Amino acid sequence: MADSENRIEVSHVTHEFHGAALRATGGKLVAVNDVSFSLTDSPPQIVNLVGQSGSGKSTLARIILGLQKPTRGSVTFNGKDVYRLGGRDKEEYLRSVQPVFQDPYGIFNPFYKVDRVLWKAIKKFHLAKGRSDGLEVIERSLRAVDLRPEDVLGRYPHQLSGGQRQRVMLARVHMLQPRFIIADEPVSMLDAAVRVLFLNILIDFRDKYGMTTLFITHDLSTSYYVGGDIMVMHKGGIVESGKVDDVLVNPEHPYTRMLLSSVPVPDPDARWKDRAQVVLAEEEEELVVDKPDIEAPNP
Amino acid sequence: MRRFARSLWKLWSSSHKFQIGIVIIAVFVVVAILHGPIVATIGHGQDPLGTAAYTPWQLPSRTNILGTDRYGRDILALTVTGLASSLQVGAVAGLISTVVGVLVAFIAGYKGGKLDSLLSGTADVFLVVPSLPILITLSAYVTNLSLAAIGVILAIFSWALAARTIRSQVLSLRTRPYVELAKVSRMSDLEIIVQELVPNLLPFIGVGFANAVLGSIFALVGLEVIGLGPSNVIDLGLMLNWAIGWGTLSLGMWPMFVAPIFVLGMLFFAVNLINIGLEETYNPRLRKVAGA
Ligand SMILES: Nc1ncnc2c1ncn2[C@@H]1O[C@H](COP(=O)(O)OP(=O)(O)OP(=O)(O)O)[C@@H](O)[C@H]1O
Ligand SMILES: [Mg+2]
Repeated sequence: MADSENRIEVSHVTHEFHGAALRATGGKLVAVNDVSFSLTDSPPQIVNLVGQSGSGKSTLARIILGLQKPTRGSVTFNGKDVYRLGGRDKEEYLRSVQPVFQDPYGIFNPFYKVDRVLWKAIKKFHLAKGRSDGLEVIERSLRAVDLRPEDVLGRYPHQLSGGQRQRVMLARVHMLQPRFIIADEPVSMLDAAVRVLFLNILIDFRDKYGMTTLFITHDLSTSYYVGGDIMVMHKGGIVESGKVDDVLVNPEHPYTRMLLSSVPVPDPDARWKDRAQVVLAEEEEELVVDKPDIEAPNP
Repeated sequence: MRRFARSLWKLWSSSHKFQIGIVIIAVFVVVAILHGPIVATIGHGQDPLGTAAYTPWQLPSRTNILGTDRYGRDILALTVTGLASSLQVGAVAGLISTVVGVLVAFIAGYKGGKLDSLLSGTADVFLVVPSLPILITLSAYVTNLSLAAIGVILAIFSWALAARTIRSQVLSLRTRPYVELAKVSRMSDLEIIVQELVPNLLPFIGVGFANAVLGSIFALVGLEVIGLGPSNVIDLGLMLNWAIGWGTLSLGMWPMFVAPIFVLGMLFFAVNLINIGLEETYNPRLRKVAGA
């Protein structure tokens, strides 16, 4: 699998939302605006996609996952349009591209035990034959993400912590061994320690299994942490991209500078001054960044 | 299946209002199902509903617990029979309108787009059509309807409300992350609807069903009271019609009046208790306010 390259090509993707609620703004909202980039699994990498709330990151992620057909443009996987895949190719695509979603509370149907998402993956992707085989696969994957099977299996979602739930999703990814992970703000609802644990697992997946992650975040400190490439998204378009070390050190686009300036600095006076300037400069919304926390030593 | 039982048990134990409502309904349903034997027991071997079975216009006594009517029929036996017909009509109408409403709601809500506009538009038309005048006109032309046929006719006017409420729930559920996860887990639309959406909507479906049953029962009562009901069926509305027409109140023959009103009132009370109980269980904000 690893010797042939897999490639997701996003080309000139634009997505507009229409609706009665948007009539005030001319009836449409351009959530994603002419975005093009590609992801490859050779070499495996983590690609950061950063941007403020509402910049269109989730919409782009859902488009890549085949969940929302874009208004214009195309997403191809190894040359085939993701929205025109037949049965076998569709299976192959979903086998190769899997998500980790933002909200660790919403990814489980409250009606079922957490085991179910893992068993579904086994059944739908034929990962194991029979119950004991399946259980073995599940337990192995749970251990791979630092979860003890007995802490998780047989429980209902509300009986797990947010971090545990998010890692169950990673265990699912570990079972499926996709080539690409589309991770939409996977750590934004986790506390700092669990966050680091989670990011380390993503890095681990890249190094051990050669998975490429599109890592979506509005928190620049997590981008610092995982490194690699970064794309900065603003009002639906990608305004700047490059290596994390270049872009975050020498930002070219004013928006990137604005993002950076809103990262809190340990000095309280400086922080308040910066915040005030940011508010004056850009009327926009919250950017939760806790850089000092994340650079705590790894557990 | 065990999950199902478990969630039903959770629902049951979560609210006393829900329990009381269910118990009342259960008692009525049992009585309705057993109405044949019950009526036979009341009659002690003869038909208590036969004309001149007893002396007319009796107040409650040991032989006739609720007394007798103008034709000497036992009022308790009348009430039990009436309850059975009313519930039967309600069940037919409620079942049909819930099934149709749920199907429409899921197709419209889950698929969205043009299909949604078409189906919701149709439902809206049925919602604003004034049902009573149409029912009155219909019943003036059609006579000798069976209980089932009446149920079907009433269902035509009650599916739209169920469809509407459930559709709005489907809309709010279909973009949940777990639905999207199901999609990337290669689950089909049908699997997603049945396994991911329906279980979470059961309480709404239950409420929709209960309301449709109640609505249909009362619609039939309304028709009967103004004298336009099907002539060959004894239901609670027809008893009320007689009670009014015979001037039973001025005669002091209160059981003829009180019995059907009590049963209808209890049905109404029970269904609303169930509604409130469900709402408290599934809408925690309300529960906090209500302090239950
Ligand atoms: N289903 C929808 N209908 C209409 N507008 C939508 C819909 N989904 C998203 N939008 C709008 O599209 C824009 C981009 O939304 P999106 O969720 O992609 O942002 P985001 O970058 O993921 O934000 P966040 O960081 O808050 O998750 C927003 O303005 C949002 O209001
Ligand atoms: Mg988002």
